[in-house]
Amino acid sequence: MKRSLFLALLILVLISVTRFQVDWLAERPIAVKLGYTPAAEVQRLLAGEHRLALSEMSVIRVLFYFGSLVDKWRNQIMLPPEYFNMYKTVETAVKLDPYNMDAYYFAQSAFTWEVGRAREVNALLDYGMKYRTDDWYLPYFAGFNAAFFLQDYKQAAQYMERAAQLSGNPLFAKLASRYFYESGRTQLGIAYLQGMVEQERDPQQKRAYKLRLDALVVTRTIEDALSEWRQDHDKDPQNIAELYSAGLLAQIPEDPYGGEFFIDEEGKVRTTSKFALARPVENTQQQTLDEIPEAKE
Amino acid sequence: MLPIILMTMRCFLRDRILFALLGAAGLLLLLIPAMSSFSMRQVQELSITLSLSANSFLLLILATLLGSASVWGDIERRYTAGLLGLPLSRRSYLLGKFTGIAVFLLACCAILAVAGLAVIAIAKSQYPAASDPQWWVILLASAMIGLKYVLLAAFAMFFSTLSTSFFLPIFGTLGVYFAGTASQEVFEYLNSDIAENLSPLVKSCAEAFYYILPNFSAFDLKVQAVYGLPLDAMSLLGTLLYFLAYLAVLLTLSVWLFERRDL
Repeated sequence: MKRSLFLALLILVLISVTRFQVDWLAERPIAVKLGYTPAAEVQRLLAGEHRLALSEMSVIRVLFYFGSLVDKWRNQIMLPPEYFNMYKTVETAVKLDPYNMDAYYFAQSAFTWEVGRAREVNALLDYGMKYRTDDWYLPYFAGFNAAFFLQDYKQAAQYMERAAQLSGNPLFAKLASRYFYESGRTQLGIAYLQGMVEQERDPQQKRAYKLRLDALVVTRTIEDALSEWRQDHDKDPQNIAELYSAGLLAQIPEDPYGGEFFIDEEGKVRTTSKFALARPVENTQQQTLDEIPEAKE
Repeated sequence: MLPIILMTMRCFLRDRILFALLGAAGLLLLLIPAMSSFSMRQVQELSITLSLSANSFLLLILATLLGSASVWGDIERRYTAGLLGLPLSRRSYLLGKFTGIAVFLLACCAILAVAGLAVIAIAKSQYPAASDPQWWVILLASAMIGLKYVLLAAFAMFFSTLSTSFFLPIFGTLGVYFAGTASQEVFEYLNSDIAENLSPLVKSCAEAFYYILPNFSAFDLKVQAVYGLPLDAMSLLGTLLYFLAYLAVLLTLSVWLFERRDL
């Protein structure tokens, strides 16, 4: 009887401690949650034959972390993403397993739109293309980045030609020709994102793509209204409200990222949010991002 | 020798090792499809990776424990004194024991491989990939894992014939496993431009270890199995010959040491 009571007491203590531990683990700083990523060479040595599993686990860890942030951003809780750590982890993952498509896919979705590191992502994609020689996704992503983010239309066309060859889909070659015209940039982004939303399985990533797509669709609506305005006027409107007052917009469009749309001095539709959810912590973020080195083999 | 082989197998069955393994295989079936579904773009590939890694991990535990404990345990429990009193040479005893372990390991590997194939088929049915898995390459990769751990068990038995304690066989075998898995990476590093400033003595020592230690990288066909890359028949044949030659040397040394040991 005494023993049973003692055991019951011990179990109660264990439950209390576990409860405390669960709370403590959930509240750990982000840097601790993501952890320190040792150099890929060291990990290759230690992981040995399990390096493929380690590579995939690293990407899933970062994906979970990023997914939790996207959820918080949607609830207007602005937390600065640990992009440097995320990028290093993904870079290490591709060195552990250069065929790891999840790593390339995540880099493409996380480091281009939000962070504007398309050049580094394309370096990773170039590295992946040496291994995944039959995969049209990598040149397709690189082509999109080159055109949409880097405005390097010549390079974009080369990537898209390669994607067209590998996939046997002539659409890519047509897209490539479109890249020579910046005027089609928003529509290009919409076409790309519609494809990504359709094929994305991860609900967090799908929501992130959908949000971006909604933003570009709104931008496109304003651009169309602006084109109509220019047919009847010699100079651009002062603001978006003028387009609404002229009956060219059904309502004053809202930026899904919480910013406000405006027309810049070059006559392009912009938003104060720059389509980034983590904008309020821009300074912290920039400081961290500058530490990201150029991706290399 | 056959009675020793059968006795060894019976001991493993009596110790419920097979049941523990079946339990682990069952857990695999449950966990891997769920874990694989976290992948964004390669559910099928992740299920193959995890199946092969789990197979390898479980066999590492089995090979280390069975190989280390078999001879050492028999000596501790004084079974060897009784057994070797029968008309049975030490060589037959040791080789019989090893064959029993090897057959058991290969049987476990086959069970895990079949469980792995079922897991991959489940993952594939959930999220069909662009291309079907190359089933025979996955089976070949599993077979190579089996051979690797037979070789590791031979190392465990070699240490077991040397030592009077349990520590050398266990930690010696684990040491050989880690060093043998990393040796190819180290060798490639030493022959790269990055290592040109290393002292020639360090390089020579590392190269000597590279040739002495078993090269387990040769048995690793995971990348080919996961991503359906082409296999080189000649290198597979070379690995098989390497396995046989290394095993023969190791068993000869073990027999030679065991015949000279005071029991």
